[in-house]
Amino acid sequence: MLRYIGRRLWQMIPILFGVSLGTFIFNQFLPGDPARLSAGPDATLEQVQAMRTRLGLDQPWPVRYVFFVRGALVGDFGRSYRTREPVGPVIAQYIRPTLNLSLASTALAVVFGMAVGILQAVRRNSMGDYASTVGSVLGVSTPSFFLGLVLIYIFAVDLHWFPTGGTTAGLRSLVLPAVTLGVGAAAAIARFTRSSLLEVLGEDFVRTARAKGVREPWVLTRHSLRNALIPVLTLIGLQFGFVLSGAIVVETVFAFPGLGWLLIQSISFRDYPVLTAEILLFAIEFLLINLAVDLLYAALDPRVSYA
Amino acid sequence: MIRRMCVLVVVVSTAAWALAPARLPAEAQGPRTVTVGLYADAISLDPEDTNDNLSLSVEREIYDGLLGFDSNMKAIPQLATSWEASPDAKVFTFHLRPGVKFQDGSPLDAEAVKLNFDRARDAAHKLKKYNLYEMIQSVDALNPTTVRFMLKQPFGAMLFNFAHPSSRIISPATIKQGEDAIARHPVGSGPFRFVSWTPGQEIVLERNPNFWQSGEPKVDRIVIRFITEDSSRVALLLSGEAQFIFSVPGVQVEAVSRASGVEVPKRWSIYSYGVAMNTQHAPLNILQVRQALNYAVDKDALIRAVLGGHGRPLEAPMAPGVAGYAGAVQRGGWPHDIVKAKQLLSEAGFPNGFRTVLWIGNQTESVRTGEFLQQQLAQVGVTVQVVPTEAGTLTALRYKPLRENQGQLNYTGWSPSTGDADWALRPNFAGESWPPVLFNIAFYKNPKVDALLADALATADQHKRTSDYAQADELIWNDAPWIWMQNAEILSAQRTNIKGIYALGDGTVDLRNAELTGR
Repeated sequence: MLRYIGRRLWQMIPILFGVSLGTFIFNQFLPGDPARLSAGPDATLEQVQAMRTRLGLDQPWPVRYVFFVRGALVGDFGRSYRTREPVGPVIAQYIRPTLNLSLASTALAVVFGMAVGILQAVRRNSMGDYASTVGSVLGVSTPSFFLGLVLIYIFAVDLHWFPTGGTTAGLRSLVLPAVTLGVGAAAAIARFTRSSLLEVLGEDFVRTARAKGVREPWVLTRHSLRNALIPVLTLIGLQFGFVLSGAIVVETVFAFPGLGWLLIQSISFRDYPVLTAEILLFAIEFLLINLAVDLLYAALDPRVSYA
Repeated sequence: MIRRMCVLVVVVSTAAWALAPARLPAEAQGPRTVTVGLYADAISLDPEDTNDNLSLSVEREIYDGLLGFDSNMKAIPQLATSWEASPDAKVFTFHLRPGVKFQDGSPLDAEAVKLNFDRARDAAHKLKKYNLYEMIQSVDALNPTTVRFMLKQPFGAMLFNFAHPSSRIISPATIKQGEDAIARHPVGSGPFRFVSWTPGQEIVLERNPNFWQSGEPKVDRIVIRFITEDSSRVALLLSGEAQFIFSVPGVQVEAVSRASGVEVPKRWSIYSYGVAMNTQHAPLNILQVRQALNYAVDKDALIRAVLGGHGRPLEAPMAPGVAGYAGAVQRGGWPHDIVKAKQLLSEAGFPNGFRTVLWIGNQTESVRTGEFLQQQLAQVGVTVQVVPTEAGTLTALRYKPLRENQGQLNYTGWSPSTGDADWALRPNFAGESWPPVLFNIAFYKNPKVDALLADALATADQHKRTSDYAQADELIWNDAPWIWMQNAEILSAQRTNIKGIYALGDGTVDLRNAELTGR
């Protein structure tokens, strides 16, 4: 098991190299001149050139890539073009709010989504099932931008229950953005749980369990749910990864200083060092989440083993 | 067992992360706290290394300059109580307010001023506002309250460079700590001192108890929150979390001003908007064609339809609020006259119009402006392909030198950061300012205009400058390198329990005189 994890971690290294090189090449083809953007529209050509030197952009990109790799290996990702701060600490500042938001919204989505999905499967074709299906279709298809603004105007502007945005009000700050993000995910998880559980409930081994007198709640949890969870888990992992790599729209609507907000800033300023570091971070996040999901498969399904 | 433990660890740590507040709840708010919501985060708090309006707005509260701007962008004394300029605009002498101290307790004297400007004019630092100071030959501290600037060549607009929000005086101790210290832990002599900066979220300032102006400032604490999304910023004001927001999109003004306890002050910006026409590109190189396009566009209709009425037609190549504005060249703006436009196009050999391309930003308001222009120009047979483009890409395309520049029509806006006529005209219309040097994206060149602009710079005599600019304005206007469009209102919104906060015409904000007037 540990050897398996070690091997998976090793395999990440060439992937990350590829991602960083790809990002560097991608930056070259991105139209826009960071030196002009940084120097401003009323800067003279001389000043733009001075800025180019100051940002290190007077070097060809392969040279800059070598410098980048050398720095990155010792944890130095250069300085932001926008704010001139070291990239590592900049990213670190923005991770915490995004991580909080990801965990809160995923927890919300998992609890509600699975609860609704299970109820729907058990009470299949009831009125409640139909109502929930309509609800989850609505949940999946409501744009988060719209939902976020509606929640802000109801719960912050009119009722004053929660702040309109930011993170300064602690846990209360997290509620509206987490709900906005969680609704879509919960709806998707509910639909997945429902169909996956229905499929398992029709399997022979469930009939066998019932036939030998296992009580229904036990059939549902121990026998069915455990098997039904595997595809749901994949969805949760993906969902978590997406939110963790910056929920751009929701972070913007709620003025939430997270990785998504930072991503928008670094793209519009052509802040290559921050952009490259962020993309690398997202790659690492997805690789780790995939690994975690694979390990959880083994925990849920005795047939899967990485020994 | 191990499996269960793993699950348990995951669950517990998830809960811990989710429940732990990102930081402590906002500190106990002072008795007089003002919260404002602005549209972006600051980039740096080093004034001489700043060219974005948001950073300049924050710097204005922390630092003082020799001169400052009042709420109408007229230069007013700040650290300097009086000054003299030599008639040839080469020597400027300032007399400093005695007894002023920086927020760290050190004295603000002529030596401190000299240190600041010596840093700003040193090309080796590669500071963003170097161009405001590069003409300075030497700075001398004649005595503790007198400082003299000698310029390399005459520069008649120099007083505006000193009033520019970048020309702020930083504590020498902070300068010695280096650029990171200035940018992140600024120390000045202004009414508010820096407390904290949470990137992407807020900057907190508190009252400077030793501020030189007695009785000021009138509030204890200022919280500047950054909210990029327009509707969320409006919500911040409506919920009462903020007392002032900037900016407010024109289309939301009506809804905002209907709310109780909220007002939208009417103030004019110094932004001029228009369509720069590439005067080196056929058929836009023909004067009659450019004039025809000017006649073809109904500016009043644009202001009504797209800007919610928050604008007025340009009457000269710069906005009326610019210092040195020499008056209207054409009252009411360039007339809307389709018959005249068609006639001019026929004279130029294009009775059936032509096809062209309009580059424009991709924000909602720009896109709507583009569609409006497309309809207007279609009426005289000119077929416009509107290309909305992301800002960074658009900048790159526009700053290409002439032989690589594909630009034909460019919808653009300009505000002179010094607030002065020189910087309203020179970057856009001087022959030396063609891309990639500066922003003359019309590739306009008129030797008479160039001579007038140079002449105005070579004197400190404001009357002579005004007369030069009046002549230059008229030449540029009639040469029509732009479709002259509008001067826009600067739109902010505030709660009625506050006064003394302004969005200035240049797009910066002034909180120095903020005052709460009851609940």
